[in-house]
Order: sequence, then structure tokens, then C-alpha cells
Amino acid sequence: MLEILIHGAVSSAIYAMLAVGFTLIFGVARILNLAHGSFYALGAYGAYFFTAQLKLPLLPAALLAIALVALFGVVVERVLVRPMRRSQLAVLMITLAVALVVEQVLFLTFGSEYRNVPAFVETKFTIGGVDVGGQRLLALGVSVTLIALLWIFIQRTRLGSAILAVSQDPEAANYMGIPSDRIFSIVMGLSAALAAAAGVLAGPFLTVQPTMWLLPIVKAFAIVIVGGLGSIPGSILAALMLGYAETIVGYLISTSWTEIVSVLATLLMLVFRPAGIFGKRAAF
Amino acid sequence: MFGKRIDFAGALGFIAFMAALPLIFGGNYLIGVLTVSVIYGIWAVSWDFMSGLTGRENFGHSLFIGVGAYTAGFLNTTFGFSGWWSLPAAMVMAMVFALVIGVPTLRLKGPYFALAMLSGAVIMQRLMLIFWEQTGGEEGINGIEPLIRSQLGFYYFALAALVLVTALLLALARSHWGLILRAVRGDEATCQAAGINVTFYKIASLMISAAFAGAGGAIYAHYQLQVSPQLFAIVTSITIITMVYVGGMASIYGPVGGAILLVLLTELLRNFGEWRLMIYSCTLILILFFLPNGLIAPTWRRMKSMLAGRE
Amino acid sequence: MKKFSILLSTVCVAVGLAAAPAIAQTTKPIRIGVPTAMQVQVGRDTQDAIKMAIEDINAKGGVLGRKLEMVVADETENPETGISAIKKLTADEKVDVLIGGYTSGVTLAQLPHISAAKTIYLGVGSASPAITAKVKQDYDNYKYIFRVGPIHSGHQARELTNFIGTFVKGELGISKIAIVGENAKWVQDLVPLLKKGAASAGVDVRVTEMFDAQTSDFSPLFAKVKESGAQYMIVILSHASSDVFAKQWHDARFPMPYGGIDVKSMDGDFCERVGGKSIGEMAANFAVRAPITPKTIPFFDEFRKRTKRSPVYTAFGANDSVYIYAEAVRRAKSTDPSAVIKELEKTSYVGIPGIIEFDEMHDVKPGTATFKGPAYLIAQWRDKCAREVVYPKTMRTAEFVYPAWIKK
Repeated sequence: MLEILIHGAVSSAIYAMLAVGFTLIFGVARILNLAHGSFYALGAYGAYFFTAQLKLPLLPAALLAIALVALFGVVVERVLVRPMRRSQLAVLMITLAVALVVEQVLFLTFGSEYRNVPAFVETKFTIGGVDVGGQRLLALGVSVTLIALLWIFIQRTRLGSAILAVSQDPEAANYMGIPSDRIFSIVMGLSAALAAAAGVLAGPFLTVQPTMWLLPIVKAFAIVIVGGLGSIPGSILAALMLGYAETIVGYLISTSWTEIVSVLATLLMLVFRPAGIFGKRAAF
Repeated sequence: MFGKRIDFAGALGFIAFMAALPLIFGGNYLIGVLTVSVIYGIWAVSWDFMSGLTGRENFGHSLFIGVGAYTAGFLNTTFGFSGWWSLPAAMVMAMVFALVIGVPTLRLKGPYFALAMLSGAVIMQRLMLIFWEQTGGEEGINGIEPLIRSQLGFYYFALAALVLVTALLLALARSHWGLILRAVRGDEATCQAAGINVTFYKIASLMISAAFAGAGGAIYAHYQLQVSPQLFAIVTSITIITMVYVGGMASIYGPVGGAILLVLLTELLRNFGEWRLMIYSCTLILILFFLPNGLIAPTWRRMKSMLAGRE
Repeated sequence: MKKFSILLSTVCVAVGLAAAPAIAQTTKPIRIGVPTAMQVQVGRDTQDAIKMAIEDINAKGGVLGRKLEMVVADETENPETGISAIKKLTADEKVDVLIGGYTSGVTLAQLPHISAAKTIYLGVGSASPAITAKVKQDYDNYKYIFRVGPIHSGHQARELTNFIGTFVKGELGISKIAIVGENAKWVQDLVPLLKKGAASAGVDVRVTEMFDAQTSDFSPLFAKVKESGAQYMIVILSHASSDVFAKQWHDARFPMPYGGIDVKSMDGDFCERVGGKSIGEMAANFAVRAPITPKTIPFFDEFRKRTKRSPVYTAFGANDSVYIYAEAVRRAKSTDPSAVIKELEKTSYVGIPGIIEFDEMHDVKPGTATFKGPAYLIAQWRDKCAREVVYPKTMRTAEFVYPAWIKK
């Protein structure tokens, strides 16, 4: 069914963007960043703010939003997370608190009602009889491109190898002269930028409200676990699985069952193959 | 030995203080807030016993709370049982759920276990909404009878329950149970090699934690007189973990203070209108950042050593 | 002389001291507690509408010589916070009356606590019939509960059914519809009534879909509706993502119009918020800026002047409630709840959406052919985000227009 194929692809693409950023920062820095959803939210709100309030054209507004969110991610890592790195739970808690504060700031600044993030593409396309909004297709295309670029970056550049080295063994990397602390900040910035990009792309057709950070982080968490913490290919595969599972259930059964299917799939995966599909680190 | 006497005195002082508060300040509003905070205390303490000691953070504690609350709700409204049957029934149901979800997931580490438990709670929440005809959907079960009609009476009952649960779990934590659970946190493989049936202890502690969470849920149901799927929400679990964190992980008594503090804070900030949650979240960041070991337990330990030092 | 003046001043002081409590009594303000969801538009409009009414009444001398004042407490959409809001207002702030409400689940949770506090509650936002059902079942304990607005969801279901029969089938000639709603309980209660009513009007309900209020991707839903062969989509949305729904409907140029109950769409700036993408949607409103009663247009204008916004439905109920309560207190000559309740039951007040009267369950009576109670208007979003009433025919301000991409 072409409907399912296309819409599933769009969902998976957005999830992949979120999951890849999340798994990147965990794989490299062992940081479970619950504020990752906030980066997504800030990306969408940034695009709204720069276009609606400052009247900037869409592309510069979007790029500016992504850049600022990346910067914000770096600041959060440097100021709030780094001092707490000894304890994973402490990092979890403080990133959670950051998410709560961001939500309140967004609420106090922009109000609780939905905000309109303008779309890059307003026209509708019909592919094989299926009506798809242009923005959705753009989201799909840009997501795939960005993830591919990230992959190439990590595999082919020096900075990419540094990141890989740090993810395997931060201490050893340090001895080799790679400044692991600085790598952590860079990776956090990258991760935030990806999340913000997802927000900018999906904002036009998904919810934009101060509470929009929670659901994406739960999904990203689930995808990353299923794919294997720290594995980018794993996250992509798991994102595809989840995106399609939800779409199929939504189309064939009912939309009220989509959430439960993805969570159930996560639970079953955890029970039967906890390391995930490509898990590098053991789960037990 | 001396430390234990100070502990005991501290506990008595705390209980006396909590019992006296409504008598000094009065008003159903304060009693209401204190009762809710005490119930959160039960939930926080029960979480700390399992997750604090073993280091396996349970992100789905709301599952047991919700199960207990809904059991109480159903028993009371559909079957007409009096509230006093709800408590044991809620504990049993919660323990059953703990067993069902604990057996396959307790072998998982860190974030994996957390996610598995979270998934369990989310699934239950969804099921409550999907089967809305039986469960009342979003509006939940209303018209539950109060366990004790007097507001002050209910408060003292809840306070007594909190004291009982805390004392029980503290005793367990200080016994060989606690030792084994803490050892599991350190190095599970060694424990296994030493011949300890680690699985048994892990599952049992989850069941104990669940039982008291469920009991708290039942008390909550008979106090608020309604239950809704919001009880299963992720937010509930996260709130409780925050309370334990502020109180001091693995201390068992710390979370009591954490719970009371945070519930009071939420209410006291009402005067700030729309800024309430913002100030609350910022306060949270400050506490988490500057007091990584929590507030209550470290403070108590410092007071104890000061007192001991003086004499 | 000196003795007399001492005597005189002593007498004056004595009289003054004796009178002081009595004076204090009459100048003590009447306190209105407002439990509402402060973080949502509904909550803000509730507060602003009450403030408007209070200032108006106070300027004219207050009630029984006493001024009115407002105390707000955030009930959010969480029952736990809602219950504590009631306790704060009744036990701590000791208000004389409660005016507010939004989410039915929260209001239902609050009821036993309101009853225990023996405080009158005038509901302005929750639509579940279960709220007022208790008034009849257990009058002694629940007589404090009144609903000033909106008309409850059972009435709304009936009105929506009439809309389907008279307009969708009668005027547009469409006999195949889809019913789509969020799975809140009041919607779930409503849908079977809708289906039955539609069937008896000769309309075929091709598909019924319920979705989670948190759903943000409606493409599977739209696909199902399209496949079913329906030609009109009836929606029932309240907490759900109406904004996203409208945007996705527009983006996909969905080949059928939609309309029904859409609470967020009642917001004056809803259309602008979604970048004009809701043009063509039809949504139920309880009042629009039209001469429904002599109070309607002045209220809309005054509200816009003060807040630069267009009021949502809770504002009507909130504003009317203050006046209704004030008049009941005047007639009862006291704020004692039992006396005021008796007067409230006799209310017949010309309000903003219509004449407000209560039935035996303290629920606002809907308008009928003979009684000008609050009516059910369906308005359509038009070019430049203007709104026109399309149904009922008697209140019509413009003819229905199909969305631009649908050829008819």
C-alpha cells in the first residue's frame, strides 16, 4: 500500500533524526540527555519566532534557529552536564530539569496555544494516487541527506575519527592527545542541531506547543534502545521499524493503538534481545 | 549505638512535628496538602527501597501506583467492597504486576531496565484509555468512598502508614537484605558467584516496592475519591524519582523529606500564578546542581555528626 | 460641660465599638473563587470575563453594599491539581462561590470536595452530563453544583445530529459521512447518539474513528476516511490537536469539507494561528458577535477592547455567572448557600448566548423553538479569517462555501 510506504517513510525519517542525535551523545559521552526533546521544541519555536516576530525569510530563520539551538546544547553540556558526569542518574535528572525549564520558558514567552511554523513547501503532491503534503516529502529528503552527511563526516573526517575514538574509550583517546571534553561539547552541539532540524522540518505539520518535548524523547529513547545504544545504523533501522510499525497499525487497525504498539515492541525487544539490534554495549 | 539513638530521636521529633502541624495551623487546605505529600512519601520510600539500594532505576513506578489505585477504585465502585479491603487487594495486585514485569526485565542493566519499566507503565495507561468503557477512560473512576471521613483522621492514618512503611523498609534495608541489594548494585556477578540467589532478591525487592506503592495508590484513591489514567503517567514516576533524589538516594528516610518538601513547594508557589511551574523547575535545577547527594539525608547526617561531635 | 463631653465621647466610642463589627460585616467583600486552567486560553478568558463583570458590578455599588473580589487557583488539566485548587479556594481562601471549570475529568474529580466544602459552584467550561446528574441523584449533598455553560454534550449531540440531517443532507445533499473524534469519555458517550440520529435522518455513517488526544499525525486517519467513500467529515475535537488537524487537512487538500464540534476552533485567532489553513472548516460556537441577545455585541466589543482578543466559550458563562450569582444573592438578601441556591434555581437571566435558566438538575436549558436559551451555531471560517454563521438557517449570515480545492 503506497500510502503506508510513503507516510511510514516520513515518520521514520523524523524519528531517525531524533534518535541519531540521541544515540550519538550517549554513545560518545554516556549522556542520557532528556533535554533532547527540548532541542526539537526549540528548533520549531525558533523557526516560528524568527519568521513570525522578526519577519525573517524562512531559510535564514531555520538555519539561525538550528545554529542557536546547537549553541544552547553546547552551553548546557559545558555548564550543567559536565560537572555532574560522575553519575549517570545525576545527568539524567539535570537534563530533565532543563527540559522542564525550557518548557516553562516557551510557555511564558509564547503561550500555551499551538504556534504556526511556516512550511518551506506549501503545495501538495500526488504520488501514485496518494496525496502528500510537500513539506512532509521535504522532511523526508532533508532527513535522509543530513543523516547521510553525518555518517560520511564520522567515517571520513579527522574530527569524525576523533569522535569515534572518544566513544570507544575516552581515557585512551585523551592519552592520544584527543581532547575528549571538547569532543563531548561538539557532539552535543551536533546532536542538538539534528534535533532542532527535525523540529524545523516537522513543525509545520506536527504539534508545536510547549509540551512537545516529552513524546519525542520517549520515542527516541525507545528507538535508541531497540537499535542499540551508541549505534547509528541501529538507530536508523529501529527508527524505520518504529515508524512503519506505527503507520501500519494506524492505517490497518486504529490510531488509538499506535502508541501502545510502539511501546509494546520496545518492551518485547528489551525482554528478548536487550542489547538491541546492533548493540555494542551489553545490556546486562 | 549513639547514632541510632539520635536517629530514633530525630524520627520521633519528625513524627511529632508532622502530627502537630495541622493542629497548630489548621484548615482543611493544609491538611489536604500534607495528606497528599505523605502519600507521595510512601511512594518515594517504596521506590528508594528497590531502586535506590540496587541502583536499578525504575522509571515505571507509576505502574504499581496506578494498579493499586484502580484496584481500589474497582473494588469500591463496581463491587461495593469497603475501603479497608482495598489496601491488601491493591498490594496483592501490585505484587502480581511486579512479578509479571520483573521476571523478564530485572536481568537488564541501567537504562534498559528503566525503559522496560517505563514501557510497562505507558502500556497500562494506554490500556486504561483504550478500554474506556470499563475503566471510565480519561475521566477515570469517580465516586470512590473515603476510607475515613474526617480530614484530620485520614491524615493521621496516612501519616501512620508512612511511618510504618518507612520503619519496615528501613529495618529491611539495614538487615542482610539491604546488604545483598547494595552488593548487587556494586557487582552482581560476584554475588552470584558467591552463591547468593540474586534473582530472588531482586524480584522480591521489586515486589515489596510494588506492594507499598500499590498500597499508597489505594490510600490515594480513597482520599481523592477518584482515579484517572494520569496516575500511570511518566510525569508521576519522574516526580517521585525527583523526590527521592532531593531526599537522598538509598537513605530510605530521606525521600520522606523530599516528598513533603516538593509537594509543599508546588502548593506554596501558587501565589506566583503562571510563574509557578517555572520557579519550581528552576529550583529543581539549583537543588540538583548544588546538592548532587540530595538535601535531606546529607543534612541529617551532618546534624548527627555535629551533635555527636559536641558530646 | 467637661463631664458631659466625657460622657458624650464615651457614648460615641461605645456606639462605635458596637457598630464596628456590623460595619466590618457589611464591608467585607464577597469572594469569588475561580478554579480554571490558567495555562490555556480558556482559563485566561474565564478570568478576564469575570474581572469585567466584577468591575461593572462594583462600580454600581456592589452586592448588598459589599464589593466583589476574585481569587484564582490553577486547576490545570490534572485531577490532582484540580482537587487541591478547590481545597485552596474553599478551605484556605474561604471563598463564597466558585465559578470556573474546563476539563470534565477534573470537574468530576472535584465534585465530592466541592460538596464537602458546601460551596456553590457555577460551571462554565465542562460539558459532561455526569456533572449535573449528581444533583438529582443526591440533592442534599450536590445541590451546590450548577452549570451555566456550555450546554451539555448530550444536547450538543442532538444539535449536531440536527445539523447533519438538516444541513449536510438537507442542503448539501450529502448522505455519506465520517465521524471522527478524540477518545475522551464525553465524546465516546456522544458518538452512539450521533450515529443513531444520522441513521434516522437517512445519512450513512461510513466510518467512525476515535483517536488519542495526543495524536499529531492524522494521515492514517485521513486515508481511512477517504477510502470509506464519505463526503463530509464530522469532527469532535476538544483537547486534541485541532490546529494540526486543520493544517494537515489543508496541506493534503483533503477532498471533503469538515466540521462539527471543535473547541479550539472557537478561539478568535484560531484561523490565524494555523496560517489561514482552517478556511472552510465549520465549527460549533455558542455565541458569535451577532445580536443574539442585547448583551451579546456589547460584551464582545468590551472584551476585545480590554484584552484585544475574541472571547472563547467559557468567557460567556463566566461573565453571566457573576451577574446571575449577584442577583441571586440580592434576592436572597444573604450569601448563605442554602438561601442563594433557592434563588439560583429561579434564575431567568438574559445572558450573552441566550436566556439562562436551569432545569431540575441545575443544568442550563438549551434553546428551543419557543425558548430563547443558548443556541448552537455553526460558523465557517472564510477568507481573511472572517467567520460567518451558516447554521441554523434562522441565524445565517452567509451561505456555505466549499473549500477552494473541492470542485462542486
